[in-house]
Amino acid sequence: MASFTRLDRRSVLKGIAGTTLSLPLLEAMGQDISQKNPKRFCALYTANGMSLPNPKHGIQDWSWFPKNTGKDFVYSKSTAPLSPFRKQLSFMGGLYHANGPKADPHVCSDMWLTGAPLHDSKPGTYNSVALDQVVALHTKQYCRQPSLVLSIDAGVGFLSRTGTISYNLEGKPIPAENNPRRVFDRLFRGDQASLESQRSRLKRRIKLVDAVLENARSLNKRLGKSDREKMDQYLTSLNELESRLTASEKWIDIPIKKQNYSHLDLDVTSEGEPREYYRNMFDLIALAFDADITRSVAFMLNREDGMGISDTFPLKLGLGRTHHNLSHAGDSQGQLAFAKYDLFLSEQLAYFFGRLNESKDASGTVLDNSIVLFGSGASTTHNPTNLPTLIAGGANMGLRHGSYWQKSKTPMSNVYLSILRSMGIERNSFSDSTGVIRDSIFSAV
Amino acid sequence: MRNLPTKKALHKNSPNRDSFDLYFHEKRAAAGSRHQGVVLCSWGNVGSRDRRVLHLIRAKEIMTHTKSLPRWMSRSAVGVLAMTTLVLGWIANAQDTKTPPPAGDHVPSGKAAVGEANFKTHIQPLLKKSCLRCHNADNMESGIRLDQISGKLEDKHLFLLRDILKQVANAKMPPEDELQPSAEQRRVLTEWIRQTLVAASARNQQRNGSVRRLTVSQYRNTLRDLLGLDEDLTEVLPPDAVSKEGFVNNSRTMLLSPLLLEAYLDIAETALNLCIVEESAKPVIQNFRMDLGRSINPKPCPDNLILGANSLLLKNQDVLVTQLQPTKSFEFQPFSMRTKYEFIEGYQGNATVRGWRKYDDIYHSVFACMRGTGGYPRGQAYETVPEGLLLRPSIPSSELFGQSSTYGPKANFKVSLRELPDHGNFKVKVKAARYNDGLLLPKGAQTQASDDVVSVITADLSATAPVDVTIDAEGIYEVGLGFEPNAKPNMLSLDLGERHFSGQLIPLKSPVDKKGAAFVLVRLKPGPLKVTARNNSQLRRIIFSRLHDDSELAKRFKTFEQRTPQLSVFLGLRRDCGSTLARVGEARPVSAGQLNEFVFEGAINNFPSPDVEKDNVNYLAGIREIGVRSDYTDGRDMPRLLIRSIEFEGPYHETWPPVTHRNIFIDSPNRDDPAAYARDVIRTFAARAFRRPISDAEAAAFVAVWQDSFAETRDQRRSIKDALLVVLTSPQFLFLIENSSTPKPEALDAHELASKLSYFLWNSAPDKQLLERAAAGKLHQSLDAEFERMTLDPRFNQFVGEFTSQWLSLDKFDVVEIDSKRYPKLTRDTKTQLRQEPVEFLRHLIKLNLPLSNLIRSDFIVANEVVASYYDLGDRTESGFEFVPIKHGNKNLGGILSQAGILAGLSDGRESNPVKRGAWLARKIIAAPPDDPPPNVPQLMDDGSEKLTLRQRLERHRNQKGCANCHAGIDPWGVPFETFDAGGLFKKNPAVDARSTLPDKTEVADLNELKTYLADDRIDRVAFSFLKHLAGYAVGRSLTYNEVVFLEEQGRQLKAGGYRMQDMIRFVIKSDVFLKK
Repeated sequence: MASFTRLDRRSVLKGIAGTTLSLPLLEAMGQDISQKNPKRFCALYTANGMSLPNPKHGIQDWSWFPKNTGKDFVYSKSTAPLSPFRKQLSFMGGLYHANGPKADPHVCSDMWLTGAPLHDSKPGTYNSVALDQVVALHTKQYCRQPSLVLSIDAGVGFLSRTGTISYNLEGKPIPAENNPRRVFDRLFRGDQASLESQRSRLKRRIKLVDAVLENARSLNKRLGKSDREKMDQYLTSLNELESRLTASEKWIDIPIKKQNYSHLDLDVTSEGEPREYYRNMFDLIALAFDADITRSVAFMLNREDGMGISDTFPLKLGLGRTHHNLSHAGDSQGQLAFAKYDLFLSEQLAYFFGRLNESKDASGTVLDNSIVLFGSGASTTHNPTNLPTLIAGGANMGLRHGSYWQKSKTPMSNVYLSILRSMGIERNSFSDSTGVIRDSIFSAV
Repeated sequence: MRNLPTKKALHKNSPNRDSFDLYFHEKRAAAGSRHQGVVLCSWGNVGSRDRRVLHLIRAKEIMTHTKSLPRWMSRSAVGVLAMTTLVLGWIANAQDTKTPPPAGDHVPSGKAAVGEANFKTHIQPLLKKSCLRCHNADNMESGIRLDQISGKLEDKHLFLLRDILKQVANAKMPPEDELQPSAEQRRVLTEWIRQTLVAASARNQQRNGSVRRLTVSQYRNTLRDLLGLDEDLTEVLPPDAVSKEGFVNNSRTMLLSPLLLEAYLDIAETALNLCIVEESAKPVIQNFRMDLGRSINPKPCPDNLILGANSLLLKNQDVLVTQLQPTKSFEFQPFSMRTKYEFIEGYQGNATVRGWRKYDDIYHSVFACMRGTGGYPRGQAYETVPEGLLLRPSIPSSELFGQSSTYGPKANFKVSLRELPDHGNFKVKVKAARYNDGLLLPKGAQTQASDDVVSVITADLSATAPVDVTIDAEGIYEVGLGFEPNAKPNMLSLDLGERHFSGQLIPLKSPVDKKGAAFVLVRLKPGPLKVTARNNSQLRRIIFSRLHDDSELAKRFKTFEQRTPQLSVFLGLRRDCGSTLARVGEARPVSAGQLNEFVFEGAINNFPSPDVEKDNVNYLAGIREIGVRSDYTDGRDMPRLLIRSIEFEGPYHETWPPVTHRNIFIDSPNRDDPAAYARDVIRTFAARAFRRPISDAEAAAFVAVWQDSFAETRDQRRSIKDALLVVLTSPQFLFLIENSSTPKPEALDAHELASKLSYFLWNSAPDKQLLERAAAGKLHQSLDAEFERMTLDPRFNQFVGEFTSQWLSLDKFDVVEIDSKRYPKLTRDTKTQLRQEPVEFLRHLIKLNLPLSNLIRSDFIVANEVVASYYDLGDRTESGFEFVPIKHGNKNLGGILSQAGILAGLSDGRESNPVKRGAWLARKIIAAPPDDPPPNVPQLMDDGSEKLTLRQRLERHRNQKGCANCHAGIDPWGVPFETFDAGGLFKKNPAVDARSTLPDKTEVADLNELKTYLADDRIDRVAFSFLKHLAGYAVGRSLTYNEVVFLEEQGRQLKAGGYRMQDMIRFVIKSDVFLKK
């Protein structure tokens, strides 16, 4: 997919510019995961917030956030399906994006994974880089695809009502895929024609780099007593570039891990039964993680403000109103129906976590080596504080689970920075972060 | 928090390390970082940001990490640690240039004292005993190692030696708790260093030519000039690292990496793909016009059009869209905008579209949209009249300070449409005129007292029909209205003949005869005048009072009617939140009352595009916008701008094949012979790209690429592309190479000189004339004439902009987050103009070859309306956005030191910061840079127990052990600025204490006295600083010891002429610093 190759060069360029990536590339890319645990990240976004019923309706046990903070938390009815994973997940409360309240309320999905000040974008600019793309920067050299960007609706939606939660290093939206078959074909069935065109592109590139190299070497000989430092850097860089291109060309021939695809139903679409659709998408993510095809995934489960097909899902599930409509409900019946949609999402999450636990890495399950972030950009619709957030997995990256962590007015970006640090990505900041979350869930930051 | 880095790690933190983090931290998220305490030590250069970050590590963390510190340090607590690192920090700055010891101060006691043998016997043992334990290869305290110092006069050691001299002579090193050398040993060491330095400045320095990479902006300009391609493809390149002196063209700090080279390949490939076309193909051209005017469309779209919430579309009948076919000298394919769409998402009214809906009408594809923040201070932000659309200046909305209203400015007209070309240049032609306008009077104004009135005409108004009035004399009239008793405030729409006015009108409480509510001032001609006042059921009469020519109101009107609205065009995309419109070219003054055509040009890919897939199912997705505004400067009353039509054409081609193609595929008799023609093309192109004739070997190498490719594909275009791709990624193109064959200084060859001149003075490649002069061997002789010509060329602005911004660190102003509550005038748009002020000021000084002292002290500012208004001088200019010199008549203005962009950039956006300002002045203006903030000094924290002023906190910081030394060279320069607030304006509070004792014990009371001191007593030093920065920028590297000494000593020649700006640039160009390699 074009956007990936584009991201590929840009990201590395900005990411590691100035330092030389001297690791034996091929070896690193094809490293045997049976010996070393991969570090993975998956962001899951749900729109319009969660049901937090008005106390006067007496249905508080349907409120998404757990009862009691800390280790003694009690699952609400809408998250009860996640009970089996108590030791592998934590709820987080009190989070917010400082830039969130300043903008139009539904812009929260555009900036959920970026934290960008969208209300005050300078003319000519868009968003800023999303967390999954920063992760991809640092994991891409170990796997086939830098990242996988999925959404309930294909494409990008449009700015301020985004259809993708992933933004590249320039802050431009990365088009999401929503068709299980297309995703599968691209990830697991690299078709021969596209592989060949990729190969011939690489071959041509290698040839040209060789020509540049030759010309540069002969220039270098003619340089007399001149200062050679820049030329040396140039030649070294060019050599390195050539070996990377050669490595990429070889990647094409490395076979994908053998897996069982029999449970997949690639005919499902977003227009069919929601449960079937989500389960197949989650299966694909689990398979991609297991085969080390990618280590960074962003999946927008549904969209803000009544956009797209997902708005109709509660209707299909018999909950009577559309998703955006439910999120605005003030009545008892509506808030309960909204909570039951949350319950539905919890069931899908539980399925996903289960799948991730079924595959094993060198040590622990895939879930133990993947940080899964699930949440929304609003607590309930139009309310950009106390973002409902659930974080699961990553035990082998120092995540300590089993509690409901709560601290009001904590920047969401601090959670993101903590995730990066847990993954061994040494950054000083992410977006408007002011630090890391130190005291509980993240023990390795 | 991660472990405290070791000293070694600190040393390794060169400026371009971790550039990714910095890039995003600074560029994307700078908005978010607000430190809790006051950051006093962050005077670090941009190039050493990472050290600055370390400087902020808190005391607590230092305490917990003392285990990792060297032995003698761990004995003591933070204070000693801080002090020691700080003192060592003096030495750490070895590469920076400070005052060389004045020649002649110390007479060398004989040559024998200098040299390697002497060093080995006398000096090395001393260093070993007193210094090396902390400053060796493994343990580089403060990044200093002295084990490499030898008796050789190596340039890299001379600055270091000079710093050691200072440390040792003043007994600051070794630290007090270390073993001290004897007085005699100190004498021997200092004497040796002094003699070594003297000997060094007398020797001939080795020169080794230079190889430096083009900076990002040089690369961008070069590519544009070479290919004739306006699209900027360099956005993907990481910004260049900043050198210690503040420049991005320093060869040492420039990075090169595999990824950068890959980016060069990609950019070159994209560029060539855009330049080279299929000659036989017909280009597709999109061309349409939107006409505006009341009821201009006889067949308006019948649908109720809505473009999202608050879309504020013009009435369907007031908008006419016509698809056109331009007249071209070549065949082309007209692009027909798509009208058939099917959407399932998006607003209709305030509800969501559900279910597929089909559309088939051009007016569902092209909209006339006014969506912007509501309201206007006086009158309507916009109105359609039969002649077109009237626009008042577009007031920037509060979005600029992050409030919830984010629709864009008031009076925000846009052609919103679904399709624009993917690439290429475009033209937007706007037919516009200055409306023959009236000046609306403030709400509640009363008609004039008779003193100012020559004559009065009144007429009773009818509720139903226009009224005819006869105006007896030409003049300025105040139009007032008399009311029925108990009339309420109402919107008045008033037609006087063909002219239209409207606005809120507040009736007088107690109407009396001949008195009324004053509404508008207009100039009227004698003769009959048809008057229509709509919504006038409460109106009784209209009153025309002819004003005395010299009355205040008449004068105001005369100023008003002379003003010219500024027409601006923008391009961007629609979104529900915020605005993405970016300016196309400059604002254009519209002074004529008749319609004129104004053409705006740009390259479409340089503007925000929606990045939405073509089959997006949302009605609102992917909408692009062509904004047309009457631009806002400072809110002065402005005649309205009349917009009649907006025409778009793109991709715009003058010819076919386009010039970008013909630049490459030149005319040649060999056109029909693929191999011979390829040789011609490649040779010509490579010579232009390399800025010099190419050798046969080079040509052969590139032609070989063609041969290889052509043999395989038989595709001439592609094969030539391949060869040119190699040319554009070759070091000869990407690097500025000055080839040296001996270690001795050699003269630049003519082509090297041409490039050096042009990258210095134009920031781009040499033009034809420079290269011709070079080829003829006449460039060295015609240096003066070429310099003159180059300064007059528009490309010289590229030098002024780059040099001024980098020298004065104007990027600091770009990233400072202004506290909007304290500085409400410092809006984003105002910032943009203030950012330009120092550049325009320097441009003016150079253009008129004025003395350098103006930089410090001038009786004028160079400002446009926005900038002048910021300094409360708005009434002294009517120049729109054009920067012009203005006599300020204000003792607190003039020179760059009191320019708001500089002063605010050196603040935290809330409070003035004498440390930043002092360090900046020391660094930039007098070339006495303070050391980098040492690592590990704790940030001063507000513990909240005391309320201290910044000045008090500063004093506390200064008095803290370990801080005093550095701050003695910083604070005295910064304190005089205290009369200026963080917004860069003179503080209203007169109690500010700005007295300061400068390092040479001169006392100054405030900035004015400091300016006097600098301009009168220290102008040699200021001139040296300017020369030093100029020369460093010109040659793209840090200067050597001898060069610094040369500039300091020989630069004084220019004093007699008053240190004039052009003379100084010329001095640099004609010096060996520039002419030798």
